[in-house]
Amino acid sequence: MVEISSDVIRGYNDTIILSILMKEPSYGYGISRQIKEISDGKYAIKETTLYSAFTRMEKNRYIESFTADEDPKGNGKKRTYYRITDEGRTYYGTKCEEWDVTREVIEKFIAQKEGE
Amino acid sequence: METIKNYLETMFASLPNTAEVRKAKAELLQMMEDKYNELISEGQSENTAVGTVISEFGNLDELAEDLGLSKEVEETRTKESEVPRRLITQDDAMAYLSNNTKKSLFRAIGVMCCIIAVAWTIMLSSINPIGGVCLMFATIAAGVGFIIYSNFVDAEWKFMNTELCRVDMATAAAVKERKRSFEPVRALCVTIGVVLCIICWVPNLFSGNIHVYAPALMFFLIGFGVLLMVYASNVYGGFERLLQLNDIDTVSGTYDMTGKAPVKYINKAAETIVAIYWPVVTCIYLIVSFLTFHWELTWIIWPIAAVLRTVVVINCRADEE
Repeated sequence: MVEISSDVIRGYNDTIILSILMKEPSYGYGISRQIKEISDGKYAIKETTLYSAFTRMEKNRYIESFTADEDPKGNGKKRTYYRITDEGRTYYGTKCEEWDVTREVIEKFIAQKEGE
Repeated sequence: METIKNYLETMFASLPNTAEVRKAKAELLQMMEDKYNELISEGQSENTAVGTVISEFGNLDELAEDLGLSKEVEETRTKESEVPRRLITQDDAMAYLSNNTKKSLFRAIGVMCCIIAVAWTIMLSSINPIGGVCLMFATIAAGVGFIIYSNFVDAEWKFMNTELCRVDMATAAAVKERKRSFEPVRALCVTIGVVLCIICWVPNLFSGNIHVYAPALMFFLIGFGVLLMVYASNVYGGFERLLQLNDIDTVSGTYDMTGKAPVKYINKAAETIVAIYWPVVTCIYLIVSFLTFHWELTWIIWPIAAVLRTVVVINCRADEE
């Protein structure tokens, strides 16, 4: 099976994380697990990539972090949760439009190759 | 899970010890722990789970860049490649500790000999004064011998004074464990030692027919008390020595401190004052005591010094960030 190269997906890690936070606030591993599920196990984001994205997006105010005393399972562990901000939603919208254009362009070249 | 923790600590070992880095480490550990627990609950074996977690961890260079630490990481790397720190393995560390225990014992016996030497001259003053003096010098010689020998005992570890060394997380944890189990022994030794030194003049109260032996007994009590204190503090010093080998500015420098920031002083002078405080107090105590010979009063210097030290330390310590 062809694996996703991290170079290609790098520009869209933020978009992927934001799309998950659009639904509800979540924590580190929760997000990582959802990414794996939604991508049918084709994309496993690395922990360092995920944490880098958190710090970067927090600095850009796309997300906010807060500490929740208890996680949903109720085992009383303190966890850092992340929630999306309005700036984050706007940014997500822009990135989605950008992707439409990107896909359109790339597909033209891919199709050209197949057509030979 | 221990393997994962150690892996993470090794990855972070050379990063600067800042609040940001500590937070990153804690968050990453949390994520890895969550993943590990889930893999285990899915029925994977411990080894497979550890393997998966570590292989999906990623690399720190990317993280350092986003944390704005690339420069620091680069600096520590160059520093380490220019002056590499010698790694003390866990076996080395344990050998060093048992060696240090031996050394501490010899040194403590040596110091005791030097103290009790005087007792012979007092005990034998009426029976055989010359014999007493001879015995005194013989005991001092033995004591000095013990102290000199104690310095040869750890000859193979002298490189720790001249070379930069480091220990890894697992070794630091093992040393910390030994240090913790030694804690009660140390407390007992110091307590008994102090009590012996305080009650040393008690035999002098009972004159009568033991009056010759009473002052002699005083030196034996002090000698044994000091032996216990010297032994305990030297053994303890060995643990601290190993735990302080790592570069204090990096994450690896925090292994013995469970997340606390190292104590910083306002300037070099303040650091020196705190460091020489107890030796100076000891000198004052001995000088005053020998000049006045009011040993029954001069002990008051110690509690006063202890209270004063708190004041001094508070004034010398720099505020934490």
